[in-house]
Amino acid sequence: MTMGQVLSINNRHSCVHGIHMTSCRNFLFLFFFAVILFPVRSASAADTLSIDIFGPGQTAVNLYQAAPMFEEKGKGLPEPASSLDDHIRANLAFVPFFNQISAAELLEGGRLTGYRGDDVDFKKLRLGKVDLLLTTGWVAPYGVELRAYEVFTGRLVVGKAYTLAGPDQTGLVATRFCSALMEALTGRGGFFTSRIAFARKTGRIKEVFSVSAVGGNARQETDLKGISTSPAWSVDGRRIVFVHMDGTTHRLGVVRPDQGEVELHGVPGNTCISPAFLPDGKLTVSLNPEGTPNIYRVDETFDIEAPLARSWAIDISPSFDLAGTRMCFVSSRLGNPHIFLKDLRSGETRRITYDGTYNTSPALSPDGKLVAFSRQTDDGHRIFVHELETGRERQVTFGPGNDEEPTWSPDNYFLAFSSSRTGTYKLYVTTRHGDKAKRIPTGQGSATTPAWGPAVSE
Amino acid sequence: MKGKMYILGAMLLVGLMLSTGCAKKSVGPGDGTAGSATGTGYMGQEAETQRQAREAREAEALRERQLAEQRRAEAEAARNRAAGVEQVVQEIQDARIYFNFDSFELSAEARTILQKKAELLGAHPELNVLIEGHCDERGTEEYNIALGERRAKAAYEFLILLGVDSTRIQIISFGEEYPADPANTETAWAKNRRAEFKIRK
Repeated sequence: MTMGQVLSINNRHSCVHGIHMTSCRNFLFLFFFAVILFPVRSASAADTLSIDIFGPGQTAVNLYQAAPMFEEKGKGLPEPASSLDDHIRANLAFVPFFNQISAAELLEGGRLTGYRGDDVDFKKLRLGKVDLLLTTGWVAPYGVELRAYEVFTGRLVVGKAYTLAGPDQTGLVATRFCSALMEALTGRGGFFTSRIAFARKTGRIKEVFSVSAVGGNARQETDLKGISTSPAWSVDGRRIVFVHMDGTTHRLGVVRPDQGEVELHGVPGNTCISPAFLPDGKLTVSLNPEGTPNIYRVDETFDIEAPLARSWAIDISPSFDLAGTRMCFVSSRLGNPHIFLKDLRSGETRRITYDGTYNTSPALSPDGKLVAFSRQTDDGHRIFVHELETGRERQVTFGPGNDEEPTWSPDNYFLAFSSSRTGTYKLYVTTRHGDKAKRIPTGQGSATTPAWGPAVSE
Repeated sequence: MKGKMYILGAMLLVGLMLSTGCAKKSVGPGDGTAGSATGTGYMGQEAETQRQAREAREAEALRERQLAEQRRAEAEAARNRAAGVEQVVQEIQDARIYFNFDSFELSAEARTILQKKAELLGAHPELNVLIEGHCDERGTEEYNIALGERRAKAAYEFLILLGVDSTRIQIISFGEEYPADPANTETAWAKNRRAEFKIRK
């Protein structure tokens, strides 16, 4: 984005920047005091543009995160300052349209005279081609104000104030602020506050874990030994379903992360593959009591209620849109595995992939418009995105190794996937446009079968 | 001369008795003629009783020897049988069958191996088998669980076709979770696309 372009701001954020924060945990006491700051220049019609993250292409936003300042001049920065600064920087590195500008690239080392808009010389920043300025002002040892300004107009995009209950809350504050910033710029939040469930394998043991989309706050969801894999979230985020294998049996597992409960259930047949929740909370899973793996809807007692995809061959990996009207899945009914789409109202099924001979792990975007899937190419598996309306396909990951198992963020913009590009399977994030993939820290062992959870409401 | 004639007569009689296999102990006509030999007759009976007792003891000893032998033979047979079962278990477990990429078709070699397993299972109705389906890591995880299921199922159906009772066979797919060879080479992948057989008694 050049200086002449107007950085997008949603109108609703251009007046009063009082956004309520509610504490999500008991231990967290986030005070919010409305930071009422009026824009330097009133928004004109041209200012109402947003960053169109869904457009055919994107322009990078040059972002400068200024060094934190302390209200009480002369005193050293409070203890959590550098940690918060690092967390914000690491979070924003996941957003591909942010191009982070270093202080060294700017006049006078990017030093600011204050952290409030009135005290900032935006002209200097404009010369440095900065589009978006982030300031951090510490007002107390555990009190901080975070702001984002559009440099061209000097307008405040987001302003928030937080009081930390302890030094370990910098990650949470960074997540909240970055989420608000994304929401303000793109109209979509949820990326920073949603969680990704995945299977982590060390040795011969695989357990289900979940982690925030930017890799923080990892949590082990199962401790069953054997193999626990293929997690999928319920739409309300209160249940994770998964497949468990011990030495002789497959079972269906359900985790309730809030309660720390894990249940295992026997299923008809001897094979249990790719469970998934329908938006209405019903469970679907591929089972083989009729001879081959078919996709069924099951009832509360895990008995078969109705078949959703049934053939002489393999039918697995159902994925639904948020409306629950469409299901894409994998079937080998034509010999090789291909992606199919079923209209759940008419019952009509059509084939989606025609290229390649091994197309698997489909993920229908929550808006039901795009199917991401992995296709085996001569160079290994790669993620492709298929637009249902036009039939256009686009490769969005480029290896090396294998890129598999895509999953959509709740905003239909980001894609997480597993890749063996470093030799071990780990999780990565890209976008529907195929932006440079960034690794999600998941700790020891291999990480596979990512499943993006719902956006957590603030 | 007369005495010689008697002796001859007695010998003839004994010979006749022996030749006809007559075990009758009643006094024959010749006994009367050997009237003077009454004392000898008594002595003969005693000898006979002793002989019978000896024979009975010998028969008893023989029976005991035979029994001991039988017991030894039985124990050895049991040992052999146990060793045989061990061997059968090992034979069934050691021979894995292999598949092509994204395939669950049984090769001619796989069929031969399964035939042998069916014979062994037929001879040992006390053995049950768990068939594990495995895949190489090149496919994707969920599809590989399905493919592993197809592979185990193909072996299961072939064994049933060969007369193994379906209640004796259980299947499970492990997908790509437990590679036989973790290397990232063609050779390793070929080893990993397999069905394994685990005996459950």
